[in-house]
Amino acid sequence: MPADQPLWLRAVLRVERTIGEPIESAVRSDTYFDLISTTTRVRRKVEGAAEGVSRRCLHMLNLPAGSDIRRMRQQLSRIERRLNQLSHDVSELDDQVPPVRRSQVT
Amino acid sequence: MNPRVPSAINPGDLVSRLNRDVERSILRARNGIRYVRGTNAPPVGATPKDVVWKRDKAELWRYKGGDRRYGPPVVIVHSLVSRSYILDLRPGSSTVEYLTRAGLDVFMLDWGVPDELDADNDLERYVDWYLPRALAAAREASGHDEVTLAGYCLGGVLAALYAAGHEESRVRNLILMATPMDFSEMGAMVALLREGRLNPEEMIDETGNVPADALYSGFYMLAPTTEVAQKATLLENLWNDEFVEGFQAMATWSRDHVPFPGAAFRQLVEMLVRQNILLTGSMPLGSRQVDLGDVRGNVLNAMAERDNVVPPPAVEPVMQIVGDPAHREELRLPGGHVTFGTGRSAFKHTMPKLTNWIIDHSDPPSEPT
Repeated sequence: MPADQPLWLRAVLRVERTIGEPIESAVRSDTYFDLISTTTRVRRKVEGAAEGVSRRCLHMLNLPAGSDIRRMRQQLSRIERRLNQLSHDVSELDDQVPPVRRSQVT
Repeated sequence: MNPRVPSAINPGDLVSRLNRDVERSILRARNGIRYVRGTNAPPVGATPKDVVWKRDKAELWRYKGGDRRYGPPVVIVHSLVSRSYILDLRPGSSTVEYLTRAGLDVFMLDWGVPDELDADNDLERYVDWYLPRALAAAREASGHDEVTLAGYCLGGVLAALYAAGHEESRVRNLILMATPMDFSEMGAMVALLREGRLNPEEMIDETGNVPADALYSGFYMLAPTTEVAQKATLLENLWNDEFVEGFQAMATWSRDHVPFPGAAFRQLVEMLVRQNILLTGSMPLGSRQVDLGDVRGNVLNAMAERDNVVPPPAVEPVMQIVGDPAHREELRLPGGHVTFGTGRSAFKHTMPKLTNWIIDHSDPPSEPT
């Protein structure tokens, strides 16, 4: 810790380390890892259940749900990716074609 | 005795200290208001450059502003998880600016910000598709047959796989900066995935990518209370415009992660994290096996001694695995994962050593272009 730091800053940095070190070891513990994985799974299940309910309601009203839009966006992305790839392939083929000599032009 | 308390108070000193404190308080108030308002954000990635190649989101930039005296060109391959402007943070604190001013011809391969269109990008797409094309463009733009390829973090893994997996790679020098080889040493960042507590699919969102927020949380959880210390240090130095600018630039970058393409993430978790396959020295890529020992040319393994993202034990095996043992060198640098490449310490230690190594392994200086 540099000696030219004011006392208040040195105190804050010391307190931060005092609190921070145990927190850092806690977030590297098995308990924390289990907590994170359980929380992630529970959150996804809850979101999935809520989405299922809203999807059924929207479908009853003949309206598209978020998941329908998402699926459509994924399909559009796949098509766009394929188009991009084809366009790259064509431009690379173009680059490989030797230039036409003027005498060959009819 | 406390050195901060003088034994006898000199009235002249007292007045000048009072003046200084009043001045600093005014500057603190001004900079504090600007900081809270979020205005006066410093420019990042400001070194002038040309886009010399572009495919999808990937772009190859060639930096301007220096006499290009040394060849082959230096092509930096950035990581897939963060923004490349960390290596060009701000004028006077920029790795690429330093290298450019030293007479090197510097290129940066930036992957952009992936979205749904990039969800299917796997490691083969980066190593066998983007990299060969980008490097061909760099060779053509520079007029050199070879390149010095520098990979940062995960970009180093891509660079090493490319240099090993392509006979025509013509990589004279391969520089791996904070590049993980042994994923069992990566610590808390990957422990959840390594031990199967989380599966890749649970982290991938509806766009098919791992959201940037998830990556930010992973980095944040490495040291959750550090922000308090950083903010307190900022408060003390709020009068100092340069400090505030540097702090803002770094804070902007550290929150500015990019989504990780889903296909590459699945491969990363399965092969690199769970099988720790790089440690075996070879890895399947496409329909072939890439042997990292096949890297030709010089290899520099640069690591940061206080790196808590990719700690030295994760990087050290490069010296046993990549390239020809007779052409491997190691560079241990002070600093952390980010600060060894940017900031005051980087300009004192990392940049001069790195630049000298590149120049020593380049052609003799020619007429500037």
